[in-house]
Amino acid sequence: MVNVPLATLVPEYIKKFEAYIPSRPDPELMKLYQVDHLWRLNNNENPLGPPEGSARIIQRFPPKRASIYPSGDSYYLRVKLAERFDLDPDQIIFGNGANEAIAFVIKAFCQEGDNIITADKTFAVYEWVAEFSGFEARLVPLKDFGFDDQEMLARIDERTKILFVCNPNNPTGTYWDEPKLRRFLDTVAGRQIVVVDEAYCEFVEAPDYPDGMKLLKEYPNLVTFRTFSKMYALAGLRIGYLAGSRDVVDVIRRTCVVYSVNGLAQEAALAAIGDDEHVARTRRHVNAEKSYLLRELGALGLETHAGEGCYVMVRLPMSDTLAYRRLMTKGVMIRTMTGFRFPNWIRVSVGVHEAMEAFINGLGEILPDGNHG
Amino acid sequence: MQDRKTDITLSVETDIKFLPLVLSFSESSSRIFGLQDADALKLTLASEEVFAYLCRMTKDPGKVTLTMVNGFYYALLTFAFEGIDFDPRAFNLTANVSPDEEGLEEMGLLIAARSVDRMSIFHNAMEGTGFALIKEKTYPAADPWRSEEVPRAEGVTFGSPDAEEIKIFVRSIAGAYDSFVYPQDFRYPGKVVDMVQSGEYGVLTARDPKGGIAGGMVWRSSGTSMIECYGPYVFVEEGRAGLAERLVAELISAVARSEAVCLMNRYATDDLPPGYFETLGTIDFVLDGEKRPWKFLFRQLREDPGCRVYSHAGMEDFLKSQYKKHFLARQIVPVAYEGERQNPHSVFGAAFQQNQDLVVILPLWDGADARENLARHIEALRAEGIANILLRIDLGHGWQARLYPVIEAGGFTPSIIIPYRGKADCVLFTLKG
Repeated sequence: MVNVPLATLVPEYIKKFEAYIPSRPDPELMKLYQVDHLWRLNNNENPLGPPEGSARIIQRFPPKRASIYPSGDSYYLRVKLAERFDLDPDQIIFGNGANEAIAFVIKAFCQEGDNIITADKTFAVYEWVAEFSGFEARLVPLKDFGFDDQEMLARIDERTKILFVCNPNNPTGTYWDEPKLRRFLDTVAGRQIVVVDEAYCEFVEAPDYPDGMKLLKEYPNLVTFRTFSKMYALAGLRIGYLAGSRDVVDVIRRTCVVYSVNGLAQEAALAAIGDDEHVARTRRHVNAEKSYLLRELGALGLETHAGEGCYVMVRLPMSDTLAYRRLMTKGVMIRTMTGFRFPNWIRVSVGVHEAMEAFINGLGEILPDGNHG
Repeated sequence: MQDRKTDITLSVETDIKFLPLVLSFSESSSRIFGLQDADALKLTLASEEVFAYLCRMTKDPGKVTLTMVNGFYYALLTFAFEGIDFDPRAFNLTANVSPDEEGLEEMGLLIAARSVDRMSIFHNAMEGTGFALIKEKTYPAADPWRSEEVPRAEGVTFGSPDAEEIKIFVRSIAGAYDSFVYPQDFRYPGKVVDMVQSGEYGVLTARDPKGGIAGGMVWRSSGTSMIECYGPYVFVEEGRAGLAERLVAELISAVARSEAVCLMNRYATDDLPPGYFETLGTIDFVLDGEKRPWKFLFRQLREDPGCRVYSHAGMEDFLKSQYKKHFLARQIVPVAYEGERQNPHSVFGAAFQQNQDLVVILPLWDGADARENLARHIEALRAEGIANILLRIDLGHGWQARLYPVIEAGGFTPSIIIPYRGKADCVLFTLKG
């Protein structure tokens, strides 16, 4: 047997990293926690499933098509989205989930000594990709649960390349309205790339919520991220995209992995575009179940925070990671918030009503005495 | 963080003619990294013994690479090599040398081990195989200190202190708290400053509007999956509970996205707010002849993915009851010794904590003489008058779990499970009687 000389082959900075270990598949978790069902309320997945058109594509996907390479740059999707948003197809890049798009942008613009700016309590992947790639992630504390525009601007220096804004923010659900986003972009004045992550934009009904796609014409340094994982319930197929000005997207395209989006994902996403009835149905469901959750959590005497999006934050009088383990023994999986720098908070995704009831009942059983309303 | 670019490296063949070069390298580089005369000479002596040992053990000269690393509060010298067999027996605390030829060969390692603060063997794919020797710098101990003006909890800001603030903070801890609730490093403020600079300690303080230190917390990586924290230390009179809770929340946020999966607190103060940590168990600790409860507190930083642990049948009931009590999902895999060939000699390490009269025994190398070797360790430690003797095994290693009958015969009982302390969960045993 040949010994691989890892001691000399592996770069020093890689030796320092621990591999990210995602959670085990549901059947394995159910075995470990000895439960016969599992309500997944941890990933903000759409409990209603994909739009009808996408579902039909998935059901009828011919096995023979699996042997054919997909379009390497999601051609038809880009054409259809370009029509919808009045863009050129070359202003759009698809990735294997929006996470891949984050890596494309950071790789395209950052080099040794550069930094990115984002919030301390937001989606972790901006920070992780920057740090793992050897770039500084400047983290600005949230202000009243929202991104602090002034402080972000104050942290810019000559090595700042990208500012990431999650709008609405995951996990707090706060958002910048259009005037605020415009003021921010005006102040940046094109000197840095501003990424606005709109993963949850389809859930927002507020009239003052800005549409990043419409702002692209005015702000050539703006890049928007969107995904088919949340509203369109295609998380299992991994498909997301970014859009920006032609010049900026041309640069990002140089760092892209082509053929990373599979054929089934492309076809299912194509069928989802424009299904406004699916969006309306999902919004009605989310609104109803969010109201139920907030009412019941209030009755349990718990502090909550809910903005836009298909999730609610709950503050517990106990460790969130202990609450996770205890709820798992009741067949309910939630997201702990320690990793979002909200220790002892959890985030619960809106699911079907039965799952919401299971969560409320389970939570009521694990709370320490004195927290039962 | 430590700047690894300052490492100094020398590669030579295991030929005794290179010994003067090795000695010159060890002495010069350890001085460059701040060791004073006596400490540099001790490390040089250890390097002489290790290099001479390696030369004796190789029939044909092989390559050995010496690397001196600046650990700020210590100098670390590693000898990395390939294709050299060695008997690790000399690494035992109780190793003694018989006058036969084989014993003389190992005597050099024994001398080396006793000349430095820590000596260990490494053998893994990432680092290769070799010896690591650590010699710490000598620091003056400081007197406890109390600020004449009591700091205030209102309007505090949180941040990383500079060197002088670290020293004031550490002295303030010694001035305000019992030595049972802080590690012995805190007796040496200069050492803490160097440990922070090396990246080994993290410090977070709360400063009041006048610049007074109102409180703080300290943490330290313990392996890649565990962070240990100390405190919260609070120096205000009013608003203690609120400040303590903010310190704990700030600390958790500071380490939340690190690679660690767990946070331990074995030096909790009475100011620790409820609801942030789980109690894994309590050990009766003897300090100055008096029994005191020693609480092991823990919290996970991530969702528990569950894991596989090895267990000997003798401790399976203990594991099952503990896992149920703490809602930890584990797959228990049974292991037992089934007559397979064993190395003749085992190795146990011993981590001392002098100011708390404590030693933790760790199995380092499996061997047929484990039962007798462990008994010798216990005897030696009891003869030294150590009041608290613990033993820790890692359930991620089948051979350590298989040692259970040896550990039980040594008089130990399983007391506490520490999740993810090692490759998997660790079990801490206490010595009966």
